[in-house]
Amino acid sequence: MKTKRTLRLILLSVVLLVLSAALTPVSAQDATLRWSLEGVNDLVSLDPAKASDSQGFTAIGLLYGGLVRLDGDLHVIPDVAESWTTSEDGLTYIFTLREGAAFSDGSPITAADVVWSLTHALDPNTGGWTGPFYLSNIAGASAVADGSASELSGAVAVDERTVQLTINQPSAYFLSQLTFGSAKIISKTQAEADSTGWELAPLTSGAYQVQEWNRGQNIVLAPNTYYWQAPSVSITLSFNPDSETAYQLYRTGELDIVGSQQNGIPPVHVAEASALPDFQSTSLFAVRYVGFNNTIPPFNDVNVRRAFALAVDKATLANDVLQGTVVASDRILPLGIPASELPVEGLSYDPEAARAALAEAGVTPESIGPVTLTYGVEGDNERIVTVLQSFWQENLGITVTLEPLELTTFSARLNETFENPEAGLQAYYSIWGADYPDPQNFISQQLRTGVGNNNGHYSNADFDALVDQADVLVGDVETRLGLYNQAEQIAVSEVGWLPLYNPRLNILVNPNVQGIVFNGQGLIIPDFSALAIGS
Amino acid sequence: MRDSGQPATEAQTIRLEAGRAVPAPKAFNFWSRLRSNPLALISLGMFVGIVVLAVFGPAVYPMSATRPDYASINAFPSADHFLGTDNLGRDTLARLLQGMRVSLIVAVYVETLNIFLGALLGLLAGFYGGLLDVLVTRLADMLFAFPGLLLAILVAAAFGPSVTERFGGIGRLLLVAGSLSLVSWPLMARLVRSRVLVLREQEFVTASRSLGGNRPWIMIQHLLPNILGMVLVASTLDIASVVINEAVLSLLGLGIQPPDPSIGKMITEAMPFLEANGWQVFFPSAALMAIVLTVSFLGDGLRDVADPSAST
Amino acid sequence: MLKLIAKRLVSLPFVVISITFITFIVGYMAPGDPILAMLGGRTDPAAYERLKHSYGLDQPWQDQYLDYLSGLLRGDLGLSFRFQGRPVADIIASGISVSTALGLAALAGSLVIGIPVGLWAGVHPNSKRDRVGMALMLMLYSIPSFVLIGLLRWFNYQFYLRGLPSLPVAGWGRPEHWIMPVIVLASASMGYIARLTRVSMLEVQRQDYIRTAHAKGLYNRRVLWTHALRNAALPILTVIGPSIAFVVTGAFVVENLFSIPGIGFLSVQAIQQRDYPVIQSTTVILALSVLLMNLITDMLYMAVDPRVRVEG
Repeated sequence: MKTKRTLRLILLSVVLLVLSAALTPVSAQDATLRWSLEGVNDLVSLDPAKASDSQGFTAIGLLYGGLVRLDGDLHVIPDVAESWTTSEDGLTYIFTLREGAAFSDGSPITAADVVWSLTHALDPNTGGWTGPFYLSNIAGASAVADGSASELSGAVAVDERTVQLTINQPSAYFLSQLTFGSAKIISKTQAEADSTGWELAPLTSGAYQVQEWNRGQNIVLAPNTYYWQAPSVSITLSFNPDSETAYQLYRTGELDIVGSQQNGIPPVHVAEASALPDFQSTSLFAVRYVGFNNTIPPFNDVNVRRAFALAVDKATLANDVLQGTVVASDRILPLGIPASELPVEGLSYDPEAARAALAEAGVTPESIGPVTLTYGVEGDNERIVTVLQSFWQENLGITVTLEPLELTTFSARLNETFENPEAGLQAYYSIWGADYPDPQNFISQQLRTGVGNNNGHYSNADFDALVDQADVLVGDVETRLGLYNQAEQIAVSEVGWLPLYNPRLNILVNPNVQGIVFNGQGLIIPDFSALAIGS
Repeated sequence: MRDSGQPATEAQTIRLEAGRAVPAPKAFNFWSRLRSNPLALISLGMFVGIVVLAVFGPAVYPMSATRPDYASINAFPSADHFLGTDNLGRDTLARLLQGMRVSLIVAVYVETLNIFLGALLGLLAGFYGGLLDVLVTRLADMLFAFPGLLLAILVAAAFGPSVTERFGGIGRLLLVAGSLSLVSWPLMARLVRSRVLVLREQEFVTASRSLGGNRPWIMIQHLLPNILGMVLVASTLDIASVVINEAVLSLLGLGIQPPDPSIGKMITEAMPFLEANGWQVFFPSAALMAIVLTVSFLGDGLRDVADPSAST
Repeated sequence: MLKLIAKRLVSLPFVVISITFITFIVGYMAPGDPILAMLGGRTDPAAYERLKHSYGLDQPWQDQYLDYLSGLLRGDLGLSFRFQGRPVADIIASGISVSTALGLAALAGSLVIGIPVGLWAGVHPNSKRDRVGMALMLMLYSIPSFVLIGLLRWFNYQFYLRGLPSLPVAGWGRPEHWIMPVIVLASASMGYIARLTRVSMLEVQRQDYIRTAHAKGLYNRRVLWTHALRNAALPILTVIGPSIAFVVTGAFVVENLFSIPGIGFLSVQAIQQRDYPVIQSTTVILALSVLLMNLITDMLYMAVDPRVRVEG
């Protein structure tokens, strides 16, 4: 019976081990904000020009200052620049830096740092995509981006504290674009002295500096006392690839903020979480939609697209399947984006009209044959496309084959659909989220003929004319938004996209945390010095 | 005797040979022995039951496995839905019956490949040794370390569309699962090989060899029955991981295509709703456990029945 | 034994070259594009071409592979695609120690419980204890690890709600972080080990020297523990090989679900992001560890049973 005793001994010691470990107290909560970044296992880089995902942008926003930034109401406000002036023609901006503005080691932030940072973001050797994308309006940007120039002609350091930016076209959203990661300010001196090592331990121009970076786990940020709005609370950003895991950590007291990235807390927990004082919810500046390949049958026929749109019961999808965690939508612009307050007549659920549209197109379910809807496997996507499949089967009698693709394969297929539409996807389930809150980002940059994001090749000459006019209109906000509204109406009626819903971002923030504002762009700290953790 | 290190005497050899001579049991013998082994009998009964459910269940049970009912999402078991409904209001019993069929097909298919590749190569490598052993073990080491996920992604993308067109969703599933067994057979091969390494030095084999027995004959006569137990055990255990792997594959969009179910797929779909409706995780998990337990005990039983010397 | 080691060392470069080559080719052909993954789904043809060039992905495949191989010879694992410009060696270095520590803890746990249970069941085959013990082990084995994790977390949350001591449900760095992953990782391989140990024990018992000992009238238990256990040692050793393999495979799921920055976690993330330099290196490291473990088990065989000849 020796084994029996050994076995008991082993079992006993295992139990003891578990208990003793379990009894060790969880580390006491100090003035550190524990903030979860979901969906990533690490940050790609601390170089603001290389950050490429929303998790990276969150960290960059805490570490670096720019000339301007967004406030809690999403207005552009001064940051490292205390003020600016705009020329009559809207082509020249002159920024004045704050007196005594300094990096985290106390060295001064100069106009030369700003010019260098913008040039660095555009430099092809940097390898980031945000610079060429968001700074393209600065004069000479494309020459730097394609490697033909090393100096950015449109950015000039007039003196130590004055930066002059010249742009190609007057633009209503140029300042918004400057709030992005690619326009954050890097220390030229440090980056030139150590061209590869600086991004691991950068001197920062924002509210925080890097204290410790545990690769694959978290990054600990300490206040930057030289920032003009120096905070008193430290922040730990921890990486949790799986949002379910992050939620579990939050509810066992291991985190203070969860869900602030694109996906929020898992929808299934929303009902339970919404009862807590910790719960915060906002509709996101994003839209889930089905894109159709407009170049091949059957979706080259506008009536077929209309039939598919009319056959989708968005209310059931949003309220029953997703339990009200999203807002059903019949239009392209998400609620809250300028021009979304102007009405658009959407194609709401009407099975009769759907069948009529199919008849008008002169096709039958048999003549169309099975249609393939492709999607990337992630989160709730599979449930939703299964619901769409059932709607089209039920209301139109059309068999839809679902094609799940692993995410990177999905984006590669979308790209192929853009490059070579005849061999591309028939229909795809996708999402667009605002880079900055302007209708141009949703209307012109998505559905204008030939633009990079128009994977379905929707094309309408009237639409193109309207957006081309609106994009360059500065000053007259009302007319500009009216033009976008007309364009949106065309795209909705012709089903350039089949919009389904606006996701809501549901997050949990420890009620003791003060000084954080939550809106469609995510979490914003309007005044870093006011950030506090009470008890 | 193990330590004797001396060649076995002829008398010993004969005795050993006699002791090991296990010709295939005659049919009537097999059944009468099966009848006297209650566990094997029960497992066999259950296994047949599971197969019958999987094969005929979907045809007999009237509910649809794929038709959603948005008015009753995540319903508890009731008279309308004996096992409740899933997160799209589809009948769980109907999905389970259909899912068992898919999972069993995949499991049988992958295990067949595994046994064929793994056990055969392991046997040959262990027995013949030399260059063959080197080649097989190196190949096994290499494939074992190979990222199966990447291979599955490649195979699904390269051959998936044409296979789906010709054989439907299940065809693609078998294709992807097959590509996974390409990296999973090394485990079986290694088990068998190490067993054979030991066996071939044992008296009955060395004796048979010294008596001039030819090699294939030794393998079939002596080694095969002796590794059968291990192969059976390893492959019954494998069934659980095959069923689960299929579910993991579907997390990447490489498994069964929606809206069709498989057991693993049902579990992964229900997991997020564990707290809202734990039944939806429980039923497919219980089915999985039932399959694994039944098949394992059946394996045990069959081994005992086939080899009278095994039961003590 | 030195000869064995020498032979294995000679074959090492071939294994490494073939592994990197196959991984490279599969990666090269697999769909999905690291540059697109980097661009986060946006389409900007100019940025695309620029990035592609800066990572050398516009070169013909032979050149890309030779570049990689020559780097490898210089001990340079290359630069990660995703963590732009960060050396791969730097990324995986910490992952190796994390995975090794976690894997060894789980392996120790599963051996310490699995082997005694398997022996215990094998000594009393078909007894009630055998059945119950094995059924328990099989149930642990057949619960998919993500279900087990869900259950553990639920219980943990109930503890937390009631103010009882609770564990962190994910993460790495504090000692408490080890408990849940080790339990989950060990419970699956425990069943595997127990069952293989049991069948080895059964097979040893039916060998002739045991029967001879019985015939000689030796006391049952002594026969078992002196003769049988010594002889079962070898098959049990063979269990260790596969169970290492098991822990390695299990680590892929467990590390991912618990956000543990080990090799399994890095590999899965790298595969999803198509970060080929990282995939290549983790594959090579996994292969090397498999080779090493096999070498150690083979050496152990030879130590336990000098008659065993292992080709190398």
